[in-house]
Amino acid sequence: MNNPQQAARVGLFFLLGVALTWVTFETLSGGKILKDDGYRLIAGFETLKELKVGDEVRMAGVKIGDVAHTRLAGRRAEAVLRIASSVKIKSDAHASIIMAGLIGSNYIGIDLGSANAPDLPPGAEIQTRSTPDLNSVMTQIGEMGKKLEAALGNLGGALSGDGQGGPGLLQKVDLLVTENRENLSKATANLQEITAKVNRGEGTLGRMINDPSLHDDLVASIAEIKAGATEAKTFLANAQSIVDEVKAGKGAIGALVFDQKAGDDLKASIANLRAVSDKIAQDEGTLGKLLSDDSILRDAQAIMKKADRALDGMDDTGPITAVGVIANGLF
Amino acid sequence: MRTLNRVLEGIGSTILLLLRSVAYLPTLPRQFGRFVEQCYLIGYTTLPIVAILSFFIGSVLALQSGYAAQNLGPKQFIGLLVGLTMARELGPVMVAVLLTGRVGSAIAAELASMKVYQEIDALETMNIPPARMLVMPRLAATLFMMPVLTIIADLVGWFGGAIIAKYTSFIAIEPASYFATMRQYMDFDDVLNGLIKAEVFGFVIVLVCCNIGLNTRGGPREIGAAVTRAVVASLILILVLDYFVTKALM
Amino acid sequence: MADPQTTRNPFTDAESQAVGVEIHDLSKRFGQVEVLKQISFSVAPGEIFVLMGPSGSGKSVLLKHIVALEKPTSGRVLVDGREAASEEIRETVRMALVFQAGALFNSMSVYDNLALYPREHRVTNEQGIREKVMRALQILSLENAHQKYPSELSGGMKKRVAIARALVMEPQLMLYDEPTSELDPVMSATISEIIATLKEQYHVTSIVVSHDRELALNIADRVGILMGGRLVFLGPPAELAQPKDPRVADFLNPRIDLQNPRFKQLET
Ligand SMILES: Nc1ncnc2c1ncn2[C@@H]1O[C@H](COP(=O)(O)OP(=O)(O)O)[C@@H](O)[C@H]1O
Ligand SMILES: [Mg+2]
Repeated sequence: MNNPQQAARVGLFFLLGVALTWVTFETLSGGKILKDDGYRLIAGFETLKELKVGDEVRMAGVKIGDVAHTRLAGRRAEAVLRIASSVKIKSDAHASIIMAGLIGSNYIGIDLGSANAPDLPPGAEIQTRSTPDLNSVMTQIGEMGKKLEAALGNLGGALSGDGQGGPGLLQKVDLLVTENRENLSKATANLQEITAKVNRGEGTLGRMINDPSLHDDLVASIAEIKAGATEAKTFLANAQSIVDEVKAGKGAIGALVFDQKAGDDLKASIANLRAVSDKIAQDEGTLGKLLSDDSILRDAQAIMKKADRALDGMDDTGPITAVGVIANGLF
Repeated sequence: MRTLNRVLEGIGSTILLLLRSVAYLPTLPRQFGRFVEQCYLIGYTTLPIVAILSFFIGSVLALQSGYAAQNLGPKQFIGLLVGLTMARELGPVMVAVLLTGRVGSAIAAELASMKVYQEIDALETMNIPPARMLVMPRLAATLFMMPVLTIIADLVGWFGGAIIAKYTSFIAIEPASYFATMRQYMDFDDVLNGLIKAEVFGFVIVLVCCNIGLNTRGGPREIGAAVTRAVVASLILILVLDYFVTKALM
Repeated sequence: MADPQTTRNPFTDAESQAVGVEIHDLSKRFGQVEVLKQISFSVAPGEIFVLMGPSGSGKSVLLKHIVALEKPTSGRVLVDGREAASEEIRETVRMALVFQAGALFNSMSVYDNLALYPREHRVTNEQGIREKVMRALQILSLENAHQKYPSELSGGMKKRVAIARALVMEPQLMLYDEPTSELDPVMSATISEIIATLKEQYHVTSIVVSHDRELALNIADRVGILMGGRLVFLGPPAELAQPKDPRVADFLNPRIDLQNPRFKQLET
């Protein structure tokens, strides 16, 4: 009955329990900011909304305390905030109730205040700001809707004239146009003249629009790009054939993978490609406007995408890069 | 009507046994050997099954809540869910159920057999009250061991949940964020709450099982009946008490 | 050492502590069955009273009333002039009952079974308890069984352990429920000697339920015979030679009549 080994096991077991309880206690309380009781501040609000005892108090998003209790004080609601002793709150800081989620987890947010304002002493009252909660926002939107409706109704009345408020707005416009007919037709004539000049190639704008050589230049450069693209295409085709060979198991992979020169060549041609594509990118605005040939654009885009992928693979130097290229080609 | 009578009789005799046992509490130091033995039986030998079961309960909690939260978003709250459920509810209840099955039934069987084979009568003639020698050490050992079992169940359950949450493909949350929600939103009070519950459950289970065992009448057949009665009564009491204790601790 | 007469007196000041038993109009019913019907007798301090009777006549129930394991339906049971069921008796009078089935603590070894009472009542230190226990085991030739558990013992050994356990309690009032029923003749004789010695040396009051006529005739001061819940005979053992009541005569000297068996008489 008095088995010492049994007693030892029970003792050990109990100590284990005590230790685990202690660890749990430390862990669960360690997450809390408030090791001590902190100090209290009072925050008065018109309404505490969904705020509950135990909700967090945060400053700049960091938890600095919690709501110790809530009470009704005269014509307003007060929340007593428990703030960690290490945190000082400036007297011009504002507290507001912030809704963290739709399911009603709220917290009190306190802003930092100004740096040189004095600290609030324990028990002091902190300034507050009321923030609309979801409900009041909804009601406000509802009210806005009503007002808008009313305003639209008024507008309708104003436009058509309800016979009581004199002539409607449209009637007024009508009057205005009739009275200024002469001026208006003059302005229209001027406008016509300007457009004609532009058409004739007069003025900077006109030249821009009417000079055919500019267009030719652009078409030429597109042709160059196209050539570059064709080169790239053939290169990629080559690469594809290598890949195919690799796939087919012809053993070319060894050469490619470990041939530094092949890698460098590849890198150079990719660099060329990039220079071309950079140009395209810079002239994007003009290009976009002037490219009548959609297929060129599409080709270029496709090439650039592939080139990009290949370049990604080239980021690492050394023979391994070739593997990158091959891999990119494979997919 | 007769059942009601039996229930009332049971309640009455249980309370009397409780009072008598509590009155013998001062004899605990000189019954230290018996106390340690009971601690060993109630605590130490129950640990493996408690650990295994709580691991799987924590796991399945994580799995189910993860499944439910698949389309919900904040999956790291599984940590909080498992943590709270284990600490406040399933930890103590599960330990209590295991205690019923493993210890309560054994107590009922042992005391019923002692009663049937007149060992209890022999104790009475020796002026050794069964409440002192048989009941009080068991109650004390239970009070001593229940928190230990429960905290182990809680922790094992939490870790079980964490492991499942990490390695299940549709949950896949890191233990760090699993435990972070627990740490942030749980309090030691939640754990303490569970420990208090476990104490109440354990105490009542052992008391009731002792009482049913001691009040067995008749032959060896009644031993089995007593065990059944003890287990059923304990399980009912766990769930009924769970409600009231939860309510009282809120 | 094995002879109880040469052992040290295990009881302190036994003379002054002898207690008597009085039973007045004791009736007991279990449900509808009246097991004991208005039984009255008394046992003087230091007397050996042997209770006989057919099985089922209520002897064990009667013994349980004396140790307050059963409560009378009506009538009174007094030990040392006080109510047997009172807390006072429980605290002040040491009574031991050797149960018919032994009632050993199955979870304890023979040694612990014997040592339980002195340990629980802190009679003496562990060394003193050891001496007492080993002496009691020696008296009943059980010294080799002290580490065994009850499940490892034969029926007769269990009964002897039960008697040894009662001896260790050093009772003032000793109740035996069929102590010799499962024992061989030599061990039966030893039990008779123990009972007689306890009376002579230590003035222990004994009530012995037994069918053992040798025991009754040799050591009893008085004999009572219980039949159908009634006391049909009460007197010194010498009177048993010529009993007036035919039922008693038949009980004490049953003739085995093969021509006219008893169970056939019952059928008619
Ligand atoms: N607890 C009990 N409940 C009901 N009947 C009992 C109980 N104990 C004994 N009896 C009945 O009382 C009668 C006497 O029993 P008992 O005293 O054990 O007989 P014996 O004289 O052989 O020792 C028997 O008929 C038995 O059935
Ligand atoms: Mg009997």
